[in-house]
Amino acid sequence: MNSGTLQLDSQHRQNRWCCDTCVPERETALKGNAVAISPSRKFMLWIDGVGAWQLCVGESFVVGAPSFEEKSADIALLADISRKHASIERNGEEWRLTAHQSTAVSGRTVSQDTVLCSGDEIQLAERVRLGFRIPSILSTSAIINFESDHRPSHSVDGIILLADHCLLGPRKDHHVCCTQWSDVVVLFAGDGMLRCRSKVALSVNGQVANDSIELKHGCVVTGEELRFRVEQME
Amino acid sequence: MKFTFAPEARPLDGYTIKRAVHRGGFGEVYYALSDAGKEVALKLLNNNLDIELRGVRQCLNLKHPNLVTIFDIKQDTDNDYWVVMEFVSGRGLYEVLQDYPSGMPLEEVLFWLDGITAGLSFLHDRGIVHRDLKPANVFQDPGGVKIGDIGLSKYISESRRSAQTQSVGTVYYMAPEVAKGRYGREVDVYAMGIMLYEMLTGKVPFDGQTAAEILMKHLTAEPDLSRLPKEIRPVLSAALEKDPARRTSSSEELQRQFRNVVAAADMTAPVPLAKATPVPAELRSERVRSMESETIVEIDTESVQAGPAGVAVLVGFWNAIPTPLQWVVGGAVAWLILESGMWRSVAVGGMVGGVAYLGYQLLSIFVGEPFSASSGPYTKASTPPPAPARRQKKASPTAKAAVPTKPMSARPVTRNTRDRVYTPATLREIGKTHRATDVSTSISVSLAASGLVTAAVFFTTNLLEDSAQAVYFAAVTMLAAWALIIPSKIWEGRSGDSFTRRLCLGSLGLGVGFLAAVLPEYLLISHDELFHGSHSSGRVLIGRVAVSDGSQFPTVACFMIFFAALFSARRWWWQIDSFRKARFRVSSALFTLVIGIIITGMLKDFSFPEALGATWALAISAVVQLSAGWTQVEDRRLSPAPSPTTDPVPPRSVNPQVPLAKAEQASFH
Repeated sequence: MNSGTLQLDSQHRQNRWCCDTCVPERETALKGNAVAISPSRKFMLWIDGVGAWQLCVGESFVVGAPSFEEKSADIALLADISRKHASIERNGEEWRLTAHQSTAVSGRTVSQDTVLCSGDEIQLAERVRLGFRIPSILSTSAIINFESDHRPSHSVDGIILLADHCLLGPRKDHHVCCTQWSDVVVLFAGDGMLRCRSKVALSVNGQVANDSIELKHGCVVTGEELRFRVEQME
Repeated sequence: MKFTFAPEARPLDGYTIKRAVHRGGFGEVYYALSDAGKEVALKLLNNNLDIELRGVRQCLNLKHPNLVTIFDIKQDTDNDYWVVMEFVSGRGLYEVLQDYPSGMPLEEVLFWLDGITAGLSFLHDRGIVHRDLKPANVFQDPGGVKIGDIGLSKYISESRRSAQTQSVGTVYYMAPEVAKGRYGREVDVYAMGIMLYEMLTGKVPFDGQTAAEILMKHLTAEPDLSRLPKEIRPVLSAALEKDPARRTSSSEELQRQFRNVVAAADMTAPVPLAKATPVPAELRSERVRSMESETIVEIDTESVQAGPAGVAVLVGFWNAIPTPLQWVVGGAVAWLILESGMWRSVAVGGMVGGVAYLGYQLLSIFVGEPFSASSGPYTKASTPPPAPARRQKKASPTAKAAVPTKPMSARPVTRNTRDRVYTPATLREIGKTHRATDVSTSISVSLAASGLVTAAVFFTTNLLEDSAQAVYFAAVTMLAAWALIIPSKIWEGRSGDSFTRRLCLGSLGLGVGFLAAVLPEYLLISHDELFHGSHSSGRVLIGRVAVSDGSQFPTVACFMIFFAALFSARRWWWQIDSFRKARFRVSSALFTLVIGIIITGMLKDFSFPEALGATWALAISAVVQLSAGWTQVEDRRLSPAPSPTTDPVPPRSVNPQVPLAKAEQASFH
C-alpha cells in the first residue's frame, strides 16, 4: 500500500459520512455528452428530534450515483444508476428535469427535458423512485423524497432544493415538518451565504444572535425548543 | 424538546452524536456515527435506577434479520449506560398505522405479520419473551420488519415500576395475566393479536381514558370482533383469549391460522378490509403529534384506581345517561339534599366513607401497595394496579365460560379514534399570552357565572332573604372562584405536587374566609338570619383563636377554617383545567357539594351555618367550572399551534403518497 492510498484513507476517515463527496471540485465539463456540474453547494441539517436533511443551494442539481474519482452528483444515491443520471434545474419559479439516462416523470418517459410539478414521481433507471414536491405556496423551494429504498450512503430523510427560502416549522406545508416546534425558522441564501432568521430567539454556538444569522460550517443553532447543526458538505 | 447531548458530542469513545432522534419513555435515543462512518442508534438509559442489565446481556448476541441488532452496551464517564444498536431508517409500525385509520390493506398486514412472527418465534425459540411488543417497537427497514427493544423490556418494566409511571401506549398491548406478574410467551402472542386487530381495523380493541380503564378492559371485556370480517373472528378471538392456557399457542400458530382463513376466504374480494385508504398528509399531522405525545402523556390512575366493581358499574351507568338527564338528576339530588333535612345523614355517611377510605389508603401503605391519593396531578400511577388483579379472580369464571360474555363496561368509549387522552395531568406548554388571556377571560366570565348561580340559588331555595344577601353571596362566590381560578390556571400544564397545591389553595381559602366573614359588616348587610347556626357548644378556643364564641353565630376563624378546608379538600385545578373532561360536569359539582356538607357537618358545633356552607360549595364549583377556560377535546394540543387563519394553506401539496417527515423514524421507543 503506497502512501497515496494511506492519505486517501485518512481523508476518508476524517470526512466520515461525507466521504463520497469530499473529492475536490472538478474544473469544467466532461468530454462528449457529459454534463456540466453546477456550482451548487450542499449542506447537511442535523435537526434534533426531526431528522437529517440535505440542503442544496444553487440553480441546477445533478442526480446520480456517487463517484470516487470526481465530484459526486449533488443528489448522490447508492443505486444502480449513472453518475450523472439526470439534472434538476430551476428557472425562475419553474423546475425542469433534464434526463441524461433513462428517466420517467409520473410514468411518462422523458427524452429531453420536462417541467416538474409538485407531486411528480421521478423514476431513474428501473427501480429508483424519487418524490418531488413544492410544499409551500410561499416558496419555490422543492423537496425530494426517497420513495424507493435508494438513498445516499448515509441516512437522509429528504433533500431540500433551495430556491428562495425554506421553512422549518410545525406544519405539513413547511419544507421540513418539525411537529414539536412552536414557530418557523426560515433558511435563505443571502450575500452568497446560507442564513437563517426566526421570530423565536435563536442563538448560534451559544451566542445570542440577532435577526439574520449567517450559518457557517459546523454551527449549532439553538432555540428554546429546537436545535440543529449545519454542516457544509464540500 | 431538549436533549442532553448536543450534536458532535462524544459521550462514548468512538462515536460522534449527529442528532437526537427521540425521547422514549425511559431514555433518549441519538443517531450517531462511529469514527469509520457506521450509523448507529445510541440509547441512553436513565440512570438513578438500580440497573438490571442481565436481560440485555442475554440478548446481546442474538442475530436475526427481523430483530434490531444490539451491538454493545457501554458505560460513559458519568457511569451512565448506553445501548449501541443498529440504526433503523424506516418508519415505525405506529407511524404507518396513522395512515390507515380504518385498517391497512391485507397485503401490508401480511407483510408486517410475517416479519413480526419470524422475529418473535426466533426469540421464543431461544426462551426469550419480549414483553413489550407494540407498534412503537416494530419498524420497517429496507431489510424487512425489525423488532426493537429486545431484552430491554425487563429493564423497562422495572424502571417504570420504580418511577410509578405508566404510559398509555404500553397498556394497549398488555396481556391480562401481566397484572398478576405472569410473563410467559403468551404475553407476546396476545400483544401480536392486539396489533393484528389494530392493523385490520385501525383501532385497538381495548381503549379508554386511563391506563387503569384499559387494563380493566383487558381483564374483563370481550373484544368487539364485529368490526372484522367474520372468517377472521375466531382467529383473533383465540389470540385475545384472557386465559393464557387457552390462547393461541404461538406466534407461528397465529400467523398460520390467519393465513389459512385469508387464503380460504379469498380476501382479495372487497371485504370491509378493502376500504382502507391512506390519509392525505395534511390530515396526518395531528395524529402524528398526538402519537408523539405518547411518551409525554402520562396518565393519572388515581381517579379510577382500585374502586370496587360496583362503583365502576355506577360510574358506567352515570356516564351512559345523556347529559341533559344528568343535569336534571344532578339538580334534583342537590335540591333534595339542600332542601330536605337529608344532609345530616349524607354528612355522616360521607364522614364514615371518608374515614373508611383513609383507613384503606393507610392500610395500603403498610401492605406496600402503591399509594397515590396524594400523588401529583401528573401520574404517580401504579403498574399494574393491584386491584385489577383482584378483580381478575372475580372475572375469571366469566372468562373461562365458553360463551363470550358481554363487555363489563357499561358503554364503549366514545372516543373511537386512537388519539391520546389529554387530561389535566397532561404536561404541556402554554404560551404566556395564552395563559394571560385564559385567566382574564375566566375571571370576567366568572362575574356573570356567579350572578347566574346566585340567581338560581335565590329563586330555588329560601336561603337568601333579600337582594343584599344575594349580592353578598355572589361576591363571596366570585372571590372564591377567583382565588381558585388564578393559581389553577397558572399551574395548568405544569407539573406540581398535589400536596403543595392543596396547601396553597388552602391558605388562599383562609383569606377568602376572612373576607366572607367581615364583608357583611362593611356592606351593612343584615346577616343574622343567614349566619344563624343551628347549634353551639359554647366557647371553643384553639390556642388564642376563638373558633366558637358560644353565640349562635360563627366567628371569623370558623369561616376561615371552612374555606381553607373546602379549598384544600378538592383538586380544584382538575375542575379548572382546560383539558378537563367536559366544560361542566354535574358529578364534579355534586361531589363538591358532598364535601361541603361534610365540612359544614364538622363545623356544625361551632355554629357554622350548614345550609350556607353547603350551598357555597356547590355554587363555587359551578361558577368555577362554568367560567374557567375549556378546550374542546378535538382541539387539544400539547404545544401552541400557530393559528390556522394567519397562514395560508397551500393548495399545491397534492401528492398524498409523499411520506411523512420522518420525525421519529428510528425511534426504538
